[in-house]
This record gives sequence, structure tokens and C-alpha cells, in this order.
Amino acid sequence: MYTQTFEEVLDDLYETEGIHVCILYRIDGTPIAVRTPHHTGVLEVMLWLEKQINNVLREINKEGLTATTFEFKDYQIFITLTSRSTVLVVIIDPEAHHQLISIEISRAKSIINKCVS
Amino acid sequence: MEERVSSGIYGFDEIIGGGFRERSINIISGGIGVGKTTFSLQFALYGLNRGKKVVFISFEMSEKQILRDCKQLGFEEIEDHLSAGNLKIVHIYGEDLMFPSLDILEIVRESHTDAEHQLIIIDPLTHYSMYLEDEKRKSLSSIFMNLREMGTSVITLEGGNGKEEANQSSIMPLYLADSVLHLDYLGFGELFDRTIRVVKHRGSKHGDGLYPYRIESGLGIIVISSESDIDKVTATYEFDKEFMTAIQHAGNIDQRLAKRIELLRHNWSHNESPEYILNLVMNDENR
Repeated sequence: MYTQTFEEVLDDLYETEGIHVCILYRIDGTPIAVRTPHHTGVLEVMLWLEKQINNVLREINKEGLTATTFEFKDYQIFITLTSRSTVLVVIIDPEAHHQLISIEISRAKSIINKCVS
Repeated sequence: MEERVSSGIYGFDEIIGGGFRERSINIISGGIGVGKTTFSLQFALYGLNRGKKVVFISFEMSEKQILRDCKQLGFEEIEDHLSAGNLKIVHIYGEDLMFPSLDILEIVRESHTDAEHQLIIIDPLTHYSMYLEDEKRKSLSSIFMNLREMGTSVITLEGGNGKEEANQSSIMPLYLADSVLHLDYLGFGELFDRTIRVVKHRGSKHGDGLYPYRIESGLGIIVISSESDIDKVTATYEFDKEFMTAIQHAGNIDQRLAKRIELLRHNWSHNESPEYILNLVMNDENR
């Protein structure tokens, strides 16, 4: 089933080294699927994200962006439009392999797009 | 095990632990066109086809309109149930209710005097709740309490997603109900266009995800969930060894504690060991 597929995609993406959090949001800011670690270190940045996500998504929609990045001291947030109604948010370690993660995000984006469109 | 009443929605009962709890108030909230009435008609039809008695109190649609919608959905047998007297449709204008709480209860009570448990549908409550002025909470609480005695209710409510600036009248039923389901419709033409979310389901395990659904002719609402969605709300007996040891130890401390851990065992749906939690509980209870 479609939902099973994107859940698996998210699981795979989450296993990529350097990725701390993966969240698939609906464009209205409602989380569809969440992959978060058990440790609480990333909590602060997730709380920031929760407060900002609606504004960020509004801007993405308004400006016709396909992706955006936020950089914190300890984390980076990649926000990628995966379809007309979904957005993938990935929180990574700044020292992670960016190219590898970009490829993995692109792969996930393509599968999620097929699942939900 | 407590009796459950099927929601009648394909693919949904698994997410709410097997269905609605018997003699409960279940609110279906959402905006215009999300399928609230379809939900309630499906709930009614499923019950009717299994011998239940149903009373449908409509504040908006007449009996003729309801029957027409049912036919369009392919629920043609609803007419047979109406003729057989198993279904009562009461179309009433909010303005005509003298004492809303008493009048509604009277309608339900008189609908199927022989039924000990019936399915009750109020569609929608929005109009009715506007009439409750001074003792809003008490009045609504009292009507819900009485409805529980008469059966299992599905009540639709306009809005109520908690995001918009809702007034007290529209929020209050959400507090007082046993379960609240929120339906959403975005209109992007994608999988997560129409979604259902279980906001609360008192006394029962339920999925906490956002589940897409479709409305299909002949079937009505179909909720699409994955195996992992179902797994998250289905008890895994993978950690029975840990639980049995804990139950044995708990029994030495307090039989009530052993019973509570037994309940936890039947509801443990996580794929992680309960060992940490059980140790924590045992240490605290042993003090």
C-alpha cells in the first residue's frame, strides 16, 4: 500500500548516517510521519521547527521555492517540497556527508512524490 | 474485554482498538464537505445490516435528502430498514427545540422503545450547541450522559480542529465526548488530501497518525493505513517473559499492581522492551 511505501522510505532515510530526524509534513503543517531519536538532544531544534513550520511552508508556497535550509550551530535543517501537498524535513549533523544526504533526500523525494501524487 | 461497536468505516476500526466503545459519545468534526454525514450514514448502515436499531436526528437534511444521498452512495438498503422500522430519521429545526437537552433525549427514547442499546446519530450538533447559553457545560454533559445510557452515539460537528479560533460552544462537546475524530480536506488532489485523525479516544488505545481516506461510490469512506500503522496499536506479546516476571514480583507487593501490569501486557504495542519501565515501577512501588 502507498502509506507502507513512504513509511519504508522514511525508515531508510532515517538510517542514513548523520540524519537525526525525518518528518514528512502535510503542507498545512500537520505531521504525517515522524522519525526521531530517543535522545533529547535534538528536542530544542524540533520545538523551534514546530513553531516555525507553518510560516516556512507559507513562504515556500508563496515564493514558489522547492527547498530551503536552516543552519544552527549543532544542526542543519533541510526542507524539501516532495509533492504539491507534502514537505520533507530532515535534521542533520553539520558535519555529515552533505552530498550523500542530498542524494538520499532526492531519492526519498522521488518515491514519496510517486506515493502521494 | 469491553464490547466494541464498529464504526462501519473500512480500515478504521483497527486504528481505534476494534471500534467505538459501547455506550460512548463519538464526535466527528471537520469542515464542509469532508464526509461527516457520509461517516454517520456508514456507521448507521453497518449497524442496521447487523440488526441494530438506529435513530438519526438531522438538523440540516430532510429524510428525503438523506435517502437520496444514501442512494447516491449505493446504500440503497437503507430504505428497507426505514420501512421495517429499524431506522428512524427525525428531521428537526434547531429553532423548534423548546428545551434542547430534554427534547433530543425524548426523541431518542421514543424512537425504539424496545431497544436496550441503539445507535444514535446527531447531524450536526453545531446548530444545537448555539442554543446552550448559561449552563452550557452542564446541559451538554447531562445530555451526553443520558445518551450513553441509551446507546452508542456518533455526533457530527462543524469545525473543531483546534486550530481555528473556536468559540466555547464548539469546543465544549470535544471535551465532553469519549472520542473525537477530525476529518480534513485540503483539495490538492493527492493522497493526504482527505485525512482522518483520532484526536482522543478515552480508555482505549488508538493510532496517533494522520490517515488518508477516500470516499468511494458503493463503499463510502475507506481509510488507508499501513501495516506499521496497525502494528503501532496492536498488542505485541513479544515481551511476555519480562511481563510475566514483573507480574509475579508485583503480586508479592500488591495484587492490584499485578493486575495493572497484566493490563499493560495486553496493551503493549511498542517494539521496545518494557524492562526499563517495569523496573522503574517496581522500584517505586517497593519503597
